[in-house]
Amino acid sequence: MMGVVDKHSLLESFSVGRGVVKPSRKLYIVEPGNVRRVFEALIEKFGYGGFYLSTIVGTDLKDEGRIRLDYYIVLLPEEETVVLRTFIPRENPVIDSLVDILPGALSGECETHDLLGVVFRGNPFLKRGFFAPRDLVEKGEYPLRKDSGV
Amino acid sequence: MKRPRLLGLVLKNLVSKPATIQYPRVKTPVELDFRGVQYADLGKCTGCSLCAIECPADAIKMTPIPPEYEVPKTNPRRIYPLINYGKCVFCYRCVKVCPTNAYIATNKYDIAGVSRLTSEAFSLTTLRRVGS
Amino acid sequence: MGVTKIVEISVVTAEIPVGPQHPALHEPLLLKVYAEGEEVVKVEVNTGYNHRGIERLCERNTFYRDIFIVGRVCGICNAVHTNCYVRALEQLLDLHPNRRAQYLRVLAMELERVHSHMLINAVMAEIVGFETLFMQIMLDREKVMKAKEILTGSRVMADYVMVGGVRRDIDEEKRQRIRELLLKLGPRIEYYRKVFEEDETIVKRLVGVGRISYGEATSHSLVGPVARGSGVKIDSRVSDKYDAYGEIPFNLVTRSEGDSWARMMVRWDEALESIEMSIYILEHLPSDGDPVPDERRLPRRFPPGEAYTRVEAQRGELTYYVMSDGKGQNPYRVKIRTPSFNNIINSAFMYIGHSLADVPVILASLDPCISCMERVTVIDLEKNTRYRLDLKQLAGGKP
Repeated sequence: MMGVVDKHSLLESFSVGRGVVKPSRKLYIVEPGNVRRVFEALIEKFGYGGFYLSTIVGTDLKDEGRIRLDYYIVLLPEEETVVLRTFIPRENPVIDSLVDILPGALSGECETHDLLGVVFRGNPFLKRGFFAPRDLVEKGEYPLRKDSGV
Repeated sequence: MKRPRLLGLVLKNLVSKPATIQYPRVKTPVELDFRGVQYADLGKCTGCSLCAIECPADAIKMTPIPPEYEVPKTNPRRIYPLINYGKCVFCYRCVKVCPTNAYIATNKYDIAGVSRLTSEAFSLTTLRRVGS
Repeated sequence: MGVTKIVEISVVTAEIPVGPQHPALHEPLLLKVYAEGEEVVKVEVNTGYNHRGIERLCERNTFYRDIFIVGRVCGICNAVHTNCYVRALEQLLDLHPNRRAQYLRVLAMELERVHSHMLINAVMAEIVGFETLFMQIMLDREKVMKAKEILTGSRVMADYVMVGGVRRDIDEEKRQRIRELLLKLGPRIEYYRKVFEEDETIVKRLVGVGRISYGEATSHSLVGPVARGSGVKIDSRVSDKYDAYGEIPFNLVTRSEGDSWARMMVRWDEALESIEMSIYILEHLPSDGDPVPDERRLPRRFPPGEAYTRVEAQRGELTYYVMSDGKGQNPYRVKIRTPSFNNIINSAFMYIGHSLADVPVILASLDPCISCMERVTVIDLEKNTRYRLDLKQLAGGKP
């Protein structure tokens, strides 16, 4: 039985930065190209029962010209929440999809695509109008972008 | 085949009084401190507009008090918060943030109708007319 | 006359829209069910009928106005939404409410859990065609609604939690009245639990329907009673120990069956636990000061920072992410992830292989529900033509 320490050291091995989200959730910053690899490694080492992806939070950092993606992972059975953070350019927000290895990513990826315009490469279910109303879709606007005018 | 367990309960309900209330002929009983309609006591209101700024539903609009009413000196701008109950979510944020505790909270909930759509009638009764 | 047309069901894949309107429940959602005969072969979940843009709305309003806006995300679980958001604000401000306030918050949330679990169990009874049971459960649910009214001042919209505490205290008389209501309600819930356990109608419709394994529940990010029905031990109340949950004794309910019946039984057991917790709170309510903060004196400025809070809502783990940039009065980003968001969108796999009649049962066991089919589009896969039949014609057999 592998403990929570192993999971942290796995995440640590990929990270290029550390941090904390209140209240004391450990934060690992990784390269965008590595996000999929982290999840592959988690699944390979700990199986599907070892964690679940709670949510994907996309934030538009307009002043920095990039979009921040946070993957909130709950490690089981300890039920500890850790954060995997990555930054992608605002002009070309593309990242590898997780949906084929982790079906639970579907809801988060579809929502982030529809509201923030992040393209998850390899996710066949992405579509506009998943949440956003039709008039916004026709204008091609992403409502959670800071300059969307919504 | 087991006998349905609910049979006794159903028979009991057949002979007992109905559980529903014949509203509006019979009023629904509510608590004394139920969050019903609230309105400003214009004797205390200073027209500071804080409630209108804090209202999460934008239901409060600062409105001039009609000239036929005597307004206390503490309200130099002669304005009062007019609550649109159609928009109001009855969170009582206005009641709690008021610096002069001017709001009167009631447990009235029957606001359907034309005259009770806003707090105008409630609030203006707290003032005296000029010359009366 | 003779037969002029034959519809061979076996070569036809019928596309059946389940939703988006249903008179009984609140969430407009469309399940596009593809069925071969009676067997479901594929389900697509269509959303977007009621997206109100709350996250964007929160960015455009002040931190304090947002407290009431997030309470309106969902009527049934408004206290947990507010609690989760307010705790995120308290993390940003580094503020800690006193113990009495924490106990009262837990009381409001547990009363809410009882009425929510009773509601979905009643709806499940209605869906399987057991309307008497539906009426009975709803009648007894009034007791807990009344308790909530005594505590918070409103039957449904609590608006009870405020930064630094709660918005009204309870006195001795209210404490006794809530306690009496709960003592009356407890045996009723035990009785309904027994009905769900033993009644033929319910057992036949629910047992073995929509079974999910432990691995499927975690890989699809299913949360709450859905995951706990499959033996996954997740409960934010146990792991995060927020508010007073670290001090109040309760058991984490799980079952191993993983089917719709197990999920409903988890809900009944949790409702019983909640009643015991509520009575414990009422009997051990600490009095370490005034739990009601003066809303006029709360801090106006929020330091820059980010907070991620979780609560165990009735439907599962609810999370709020709040980011403040330290400038101005509005949050920079608020991200809400409701439990149903995961449970509904990611659960399309659960329906496959079951019959059409089981679709509403599985959906209700996830704790939303939507409409029965209103019209069918028949797709002839061989000729690739498409024509529409309404329900009457289909029932009459003459298109």
